[in-house]
Amino acid sequence: MTALRVVDLEAGYEPGLPIVRGTSLAVEPNEIVAVLGPNGAGKSTLIKAIAGLVPVSAGKVLLHDRDITGRAAHHLAHEGLGFVPQTENVFVNLSIEDNLDLAASILKVPKKQRLRDLYDLFPDLARQRRLLAGRLSGGQRQMLAVARALVGEPKVLMLDEPSAGLSPKLVGIVFEKLLDVRATGVTIVLVEQNVKAALAIADRGAVLVEGSTRIVGTARDLAGDPQVAALYLGQHRGGS
Amino acid sequence: MLQLVADGFIIGSVIALGAIGVTLVYSILRFANFAHGELLTWGAYLAWTALIGIVAVWGPAEPLGPFSFGWPLLVALAVSAVATAALALLVDRLLFRQLRRHGNAITLIMASFGAALVLRNLLQFIYGAVPEYYSREIQVAIRLVPRDVLGGLRITPDQLFVLGLTAVSVVGLHIFLTRTTVGKAMRATSVNPQLARVTGIDVDRVIRATWIIGAVLAAVAGVFSGLTVQLRPQLGLDLLLPLFAAAILGGIGSVYGAVVGGLIVGLAESLSVPLVGAEYRAATAFVVLIAILLIRPTGLFGERT
Ligand SMILES: Nc1ncnc2c1ncn2[C@@H]1O[C@H](COP(=O)(O)OP(=O)(O)O)[C@@H](O)[C@H]1O
Ligand SMILES: [Mg+2]
Repeated sequence: MTALRVVDLEAGYEPGLPIVRGTSLAVEPNEIVAVLGPNGAGKSTLIKAIAGLVPVSAGKVLLHDRDITGRAAHHLAHEGLGFVPQTENVFVNLSIEDNLDLAASILKVPKKQRLRDLYDLFPDLARQRRLLAGRLSGGQRQMLAVARALVGEPKVLMLDEPSAGLSPKLVGIVFEKLLDVRATGVTIVLVEQNVKAALAIADRGAVLVEGSTRIVGTARDLAGDPQVAALYLGQHRGGS
Repeated sequence: MLQLVADGFIIGSVIALGAIGVTLVYSILRFANFAHGELLTWGAYLAWTALIGIVAVWGPAEPLGPFSFGWPLLVALAVSAVATAALALLVDRLLFRQLRRHGNAITLIMASFGAALVLRNLLQFIYGAVPEYYSREIQVAIRLVPRDVLGGLRITPDQLFVLGLTAVSVVGLHIFLTRTTVGKAMRATSVNPQLARVTGIDVDRVIRATWIIGAVLAAVAGVFSGLTVQLRPQLGLDLLLPLFAAAILGGIGSVYGAVVGGLIVGLAESLSVPLVGAEYRAATAFVVLIAILLIRPTGLFGERT
């Protein structure tokens, strides 16, 4: 069984203008796979298409071998797909508790126990559960975004650049958490510009260029691959 | 003076209930629905039809206590609330839903103008243009404050009923939005529809809930207007601009803002009558609106972005 399989996917925002062009990807259960690639390569579009937020024009998406191509986003949340958008990934007008509580009610999971588990995983959130999510700092907001996506105990969690806008120290903390999340049995697809940090926790990586997967390999191979480095040259000076 | 304040609160109650619908639709469906006033008119007339039906079947009923109306009007109000919600869902299904898929905000606004025209003409075709009343009973106003204190205050039981039921509706809506899953889902969807979807919220359901709540409150407001003034096919059209003034004044998207905005617009209209005369009362709402927006461009309760 494959946790998530993408076969020759074509997707885009407007008919006849595919942004994702023939992308294929297979993610094994409990793996962390990093999806890398230069800015504008279509990484966000790819995972949004998987999550049902961008129309798919060709190809297939399978979640635990079940065909989910073209399913509406809210159905996929019920079927075990977690998604953390890059920005605006918490409900700023709800408290931390209500962000999680709402997801639990919607997804019909045993609320008390699930929230307790998540608060154990993210003790910072537990301490300020009544705080409005809009008041959280960057790192804590990212934690809440991840926690919210985990409420329904997803089989696969997809994150769009969780390191964006965070200090190197916070990136370390958030990525450390992702390893904890993986340890609970979740499969993770991690879209990142921060190649170094992503490959440090990923098992494998895929490099997306102009909407299609160019290089797939183990994290270790990709980290040492001059081709991968070249793709980021001039793109990512100093930053990561 | 006191009398004008009380009158302002009564007009303000009607405006506030209508403005809640405007602001909810705006924050969830992201367009200014200029057909909302017609939901008030339809709410008022559907209640009138239900009232006639009830009286035809069960015969006329005695007025309840000091009020001008009996139990049939309360039942008619409930029937109208359901029917108005159905009407709003129908208009959404036939018109707005199609445009949401392909159109933009301007298309939706223009469509709402069209919907308003159709709804108003249809209503006038069915009911005619002659004003109607729910009851022809003459009510004795209760004197709450003697004439020598700030001009005194007299209020009819019906007006007290309007104030009371408005307060109950607002409190009920508050509890709904803060305590229930659907209410929280509505608030979540209003700030971030995409995140709502990946959280598992069926946005189409949220949209239906929005129409139902907006329409129910519109029906209540329409009946209040019919009860305290009269039923006219222009009832909703005349209220449309005050509704928008109230919603914008309160900060569009904010339910509490719409309530406060409604009361302020009602007060402004009422208090301006001795100054500018009854013909220009509607204009005062805009003077207040512009004054407040100059000081606080996002409205009283609007978020600063
Ligand atoms: N909402 C959108 N509507 C239309 N085009 C978009 C939208 N979002 C992104 N694009 C286009 O899709 C391409 C890929 O963007 P994206 O998937 O965000 O890349 P990445 O995440 O790899 O940086 C870009 O050319 C971008 O301009
Ligand atoms: Mg991106």
